[in-house]
Amino acid sequence: MNCLGIIFSDMQDWNITELASHRSVAAIPFGGRYRLIDFPLSNIVNSDINKVCIITKSNYRSLMEHVGSGKDWDLSRKKGGILIFPPYALGENHGLFQGRLDALKRVLDYIVSSKEKYVVLSDCDMIYNINYRDVIDYHEKKNSDITAVYTRTNIEKDSSIHKILYELDDDGRADDILVYPITKGTYNVGLNTWVMDKDFIESLIYDAIARNYKDFSYDVLARKVHSLRIYGYEYTGYFAHIDSLQSYYENSLGLLNANNLQRLFYSKTGPIYTKTKDSTPTRYCTDANVKNSLIASGCVIEGNVENSIIFRGVKIDKNASVKNSIIMQHSAIGENAKLDSIITDTYVQVTNSRILLGYSNCPFFIKKYSVV
Amino acid sequence: MKLAKKECVVMLLAGGQGTRLGELTKKIAKPSIPFGGKYRIIDFPLSNCVNSGLDTIGVLTQYQPHILNSYIGDGKSWDLDRMNGGIQILPPYQRSGDSQWYLGTANAIYQNIDFIDQYDPKYVLILSGDHIYKMDYSLMIEYHKEKNADCTISVIDVPFIEASRFGILNSNRNGRILDFEEKPKTPKSTKASMGIYVFSWNKLKKYLKIDNKNSDSSNDFGKDIIPLMLKSGEKVYSYEFKGYWKDVGTINSLWQANMDLIGNSGLDLSGDWVIYSRHAERPPHYISKNSIVKNSIVSEGAVILGSVENSVIFSGVMIGENAEIRDSVIMADVQIKKNSIINYSIIDEDVVVGPNLKIGTPKEKDSDITLIPRESIIYNAQEV
Repeated sequence: MNCLGIIFSDMQDWNITELASHRSVAAIPFGGRYRLIDFPLSNIVNSDINKVCIITKSNYRSLMEHVGSGKDWDLSRKKGGILIFPPYALGENHGLFQGRLDALKRVLDYIVSSKEKYVVLSDCDMIYNINYRDVIDYHEKKNSDITAVYTRTNIEKDSSIHKILYELDDDGRADDILVYPITKGTYNVGLNTWVMDKDFIESLIYDAIARNYKDFSYDVLARKVHSLRIYGYEYTGYFAHIDSLQSYYENSLGLLNANNLQRLFYSKTGPIYTKTKDSTPTRYCTDANVKNSLIASGCVIEGNVENSIIFRGVKIDKNASVKNSIIMQHSAIGENAKLDSIITDTYVQVTNSRILLGYSNCPFFIKKYSVV
Repeated sequence: MKLAKKECVVMLLAGGQGTRLGELTKKIAKPSIPFGGKYRIIDFPLSNCVNSGLDTIGVLTQYQPHILNSYIGDGKSWDLDRMNGGIQILPPYQRSGDSQWYLGTANAIYQNIDFIDQYDPKYVLILSGDHIYKMDYSLMIEYHKEKNADCTISVIDVPFIEASRFGILNSNRNGRILDFEEKPKTPKSTKASMGIYVFSWNKLKKYLKIDNKNSDSSNDFGKDIIPLMLKSGEKVYSYEFKGYWKDVGTINSLWQANMDLIGNSGLDLSGDWVIYSRHAERPPHYISKNSIVKNSIVSEGAVILGSVENSVIFSGVMIGENAEIRDSVIMADVQIKKNSIINYSIIDEDVVVGPNLKIGTPKEKDSDITLIPRESIIYNAQEV
């Protein structure tokens, strides 16, 4: 596929401070064995795009460790392959980038020197399974400058502030674009995924340099909605937006719904790839009692688990009870401990007989390496 | 092109048919038989090599090699995609003069003398793809060096009643082997050969060439090469291995080795000695609100709506509502439809069973294991 992929690892990291305080948004664990970067990376690979760069912002050690040479996504290539951009100072612009356009300015050389015809931009906080080939075909057909992928969904007031909404005419061209509005109702919600011609994105960046534009959403989409041909491409598959601890919790447990599981992981588009860990299959002991849960490999389950997501290498001891919870990799739950509506980060130890309770609209979060 | 010198080259014999496994090896070679939820037998010798620091491996294939070949690929799953060495598949090939199939284990190595010579090694390690075990071969090579041996054979203590099933070695206090008997009626010791040999390459090459000239020879390491070396007075030593080791050459032993994983009885695959494998990309397994899963191991991508007890469930297995699985090994991508009951069985890959069927007889003292061959589709004709 004649296309370059650009993934932003941390466009919205201020929203999920608990999970993203010591790691990139891209490296947030999700769904038992994945990290958020696996979804955009797999989309890119499943669309036969084999050149991709990841633009990072800060705390990207765990992201780099996860991605490595890219071979788990088949992206360790002689031609193309994967490139991680650490933060990059450009002329007078020292420090972290101040928006998507500002970030793109700093990788301008890479974009200019690429020979691909198209560019696809995506973020890590939106989870979906798509084939970009269809978006590029649509982009060609509509002869658009920017093709934005959206899904039609109902939003509630308090979660709407981190979304971009597209109002489209009958032809699918954007009439109006609202950036982070406070509103509710059914809208065309952007997936923060755009396809452009490579030449076009270069011209956007030159223009941004000349006018000191930094923000793609306000300075390009909203400002130029009438002067540019911006089209919406409708995506109808599984979609989740991780923009708060609460939405992380709800969307994680949402995977226990067979329909969601099917649409995200068994879609015709292709599987979701992640770093292989060569962990053993999970072992259930005689007293194990597991209901309605997703369990990754490498676990040893001796206790009770219900409505929960259990990551790789977790140990749940005898008579422990884990309900409505998310237990991240290498955490251990001691004997007789009781957990309800808890999110433990990685390497957490809950000692014997501890009782931890959150509530479904207020899950309790336990930091990495904590011993309770 | 001159290749980088290697101290030790590994030759893995993977051409055997494994006739005692019946339908299981009808379409695939024995080393590619699935094991333990996500592995194949060959993962064990390959992972042992990598963990022992050995990175140059020739895999000798002959019988039904396709699944094995595609499974190995470029070896990256075992970290064997290397600049120098790595893994190479060695089928029989045509040459000027006499060309033939591999006639026996020793003949397979004889036909690949040139392959080994490329690396100019001091030692050659011969392995087979028939056993489940975790072993540090580097310790055995060290022992071989210490004893200044020409050949070192790895042995394991077996129960006296079973000794007559194995090649039995009789050695002196120093470990030097005095004699070797293949499947003796009255064994002189209980030290059985594990089919793992370290040879000094110059000596092995010499005896392979002598053996090849003998038209009466069966060209086998156990039957011909080792006795020949002993007769010629070469220094042949035994190296004692302690730990879990299981020959999975029969349906019963394959079933038992799988079960040994469940209660952690003797075979623990977690820990630093990682067994690597190649597997399809799958999400975590799902267990529904009406399921019971006890005393079992379950791999990625399985969806369990029924109940599972004392069983090994491979990746991508689908177990329908009210289905019951007991004392069984269910291999990858098998579908057991609703209300079906599986007892004491090995279900090979890609089988579809049910709905409303019973397979196998409950495990009792004298009941036999039921084996369903790969890609079978079994349904109740009345319901179609």
